[in-house]
Amino acid sequence: MKNLILGACLCMGTLAFSQDNGYFFGGLESNSQWLMPDEKIGFDTPEDRFRANNYLQLNYSLGKFTAGVQYESYLPAALLGYSPTWDGENGIGTYYLNFKNESLDITGGYFYEQFGSGLILRTWEDRQLGINNALKGLRVKFTPTENLGLTGVYGQIRNGFDVSEGVMQGLDANANLSGLLDIEIVELKLGASYVGRYQSNGANDSIPANINSFGGRLDFVANNFYGGIEAITKDPDVIVNEGEVESAQHFDGTALQVNLGYAQKGLGINSTFRRLENFSFYADRYAEGNLYNEQIVNYVPALTKQHDYLLSNIYVYNAQPRLLFSDTEQRAGEVGAQVDVYYSFDRESTLGKVGTKLAGNFSYWAGLESTFNFEEQTYDPKFIGKGPRYFRDLNIEVKNRWSSKWSTIATFQDVIIDKGVTEGGPLGIQGDIRAQIAVIEGTRKFEGGKALRMELQHLWVDKSRKNVDRKNWMAGVLEYNFNSAFTLYAADAWNYEGEGEIHYYSFGGSYTKGPARFAVNYGRQRGGLICVGGVCRFVPENTGVTANLVVTF
Amino acid sequence: MKKILPLLLAFVTFSVLAQNDLPKVDMTTLDGAPINSNDLSTDDNVIVISLWATWCVPCIKELDAISEIYPDWQAETNVKLYAVSIDDSRGVNRVKPLVNGKGWDYTILLDTNNDFKRALGAATVPLTLLVKNNQIVHRHSGYSPGAELELYEKIKQFSAAN
Repeated sequence: MKNLILGACLCMGTLAFSQDNGYFFGGLESNSQWLMPDEKIGFDTPEDRFRANNYLQLNYSLGKFTAGVQYESYLPAALLGYSPTWDGENGIGTYYLNFKNESLDITGGYFYEQFGSGLILRTWEDRQLGINNALKGLRVKFTPTENLGLTGVYGQIRNGFDVSEGVMQGLDANANLSGLLDIEIVELKLGASYVGRYQSNGANDSIPANINSFGGRLDFVANNFYGGIEAITKDPDVIVNEGEVESAQHFDGTALQVNLGYAQKGLGINSTFRRLENFSFYADRYAEGNLYNEQIVNYVPALTKQHDYLLSNIYVYNAQPRLLFSDTEQRAGEVGAQVDVYYSFDRESTLGKVGTKLAGNFSYWAGLESTFNFEEQTYDPKFIGKGPRYFRDLNIEVKNRWSSKWSTIATFQDVIIDKGVTEGGPLGIQGDIRAQIAVIEGTRKFEGGKALRMELQHLWVDKSRKNVDRKNWMAGVLEYNFNSAFTLYAADAWNYEGEGEIHYYSFGGSYTKGPARFAVNYGRQRGGLICVGGVCRFVPENTGVTANLVVTF
Repeated sequence: MKKILPLLLAFVTFSVLAQNDLPKVDMTTLDGAPINSNDLSTDDNVIVISLWATWCVPCIKELDAISEIYPDWQAETNVKLYAVSIDDSRGVNRVKPLVNGKGWDYTILLDTNNDFKRALGAATVPLTLLVKNNQIVHRHSGYSPGAELELYEKIKQFSAAN
């Protein structure tokens, strides 16, 4: 298969010289680090002090065909905190050949696909998180009319330079009801999905070989209102923790997500409710709950605001969809909601004259309240209930543009997080941590594309609680843009009340030229969760130099 | 190393051969209607394609900054800006309220499965492209305050070059 596609690629490459209507596209990304011992934070460098992740992607498109390969190397070792699966490896990571015309879209090889919101199936690549769960196999998309779409997939999930033991199959159908039925007052879309996994159970009849999941969704847009509902069920399966089957019982899983929003010029509101019960899905039953999100089949992001400041990124939530049934911990899933509001003052009003824009977000996530019966190995969950609070965040951001030269952003956040979520260990029984974070950011523009940006931040921990974690922090960032291509920055997050009063400093710069960007920085990395798109990975504390190069063509 | 060399060679060859065609990728509008990237730029008009996300602070700063002067840009050059959100399902429901709340006048497109982002080889956002007749004539990644003025100089330059 691989040789066939590479062959086809070469073939098309040769064709390119005879015909002039094909084109190449792709990119190179190189991320490397040089680690340095740092006594202050107790960091001993690992054996491989130089580490690098490199990705080279090449595609060629000719008429209705497109083909591509991605070469990856993790030499001599993958960046710190990535799955050891990658260490010292290199080779062709993904390749594909695609044919596409008006109604058919066929892909062989590795591909990225998403059904609905991804809650039932999503394969994607995130290089910062070290996730690439592309499906390797065949995908056919059929669009007979603009109001109907059908997608079928078959294959195995990528796992390092190998693929999963489990074989996945899926079918997704989408219909635009308004288009089909000529409804004008409301835009209605209906979707249905099926995803199944086959994994041999050896001769063990107590483990199901086939696990099927089914989902349906309905989305609407009516004037300024919009919304949707999605519900999924998954066949009873064994529950696995750290590679071991935990119970003789099988448990089914469900997911329900409801979204409702309103948008008009100057005002936008969005709200989401989600309930997950025993809803984790992996291409290998024994991979459930692994630290690196390997072989994951669906996308279960934390539905909270993704913060972007040094101190507001200390206490971050990670979705908790799992069922656990052990002596030390019992939990059945998560339930919660979030609301976002965006508002701009009218340009003619007093606040509007200084360009005031507001953004607020509230989120609350709790464990599913359930009673567990050990003797019979069953549990009884409430629909919402009063489960232990895992996370609560209330934040507001005020943006102002005082003149063509000055602009500011002020944010305030009040966050409560369960200790188990942020530090590990069982959830809901170790108490929680509450913190308030204030950030002021100012930007001053100068002539000729020069600009100066400053951030001041402070984090207060509520000391009346049992857990005070590392107590208070303060932080500052100074960034200077010499022009749109060249930037230097210095940043420091100082844990002035914590043990050792550690400074997490960093200095660096970036240079952009057309399709190329190079960045380098030196500093101390605070250990903890690195989250991209609501999916997180744990990074150990370290000190060193990192360099990133991206070239696209 | 043996494996890397031929690939590096291939890389160099390809980058020489590479043309600046805008990859042909399907996206959707805010109302869910399908739209192809190659249907955006026609008739010798210069368009701006800006890849952004609701969680990307510099992206929002860039689009906010352009929003202040966008009416002038349009009046002078007829330029149109397409803001392509690469938000996945975590953020995609925030796109509509955010765009409205901010009062942006851009055409918003959704690249929820990141097909367009991948085809452009965009490792990070923001990524800003100037496109004319489906040829990428200018490309810039990242945003620093004031970069929108430089972008406008480029827009004028390519609009004039008819």
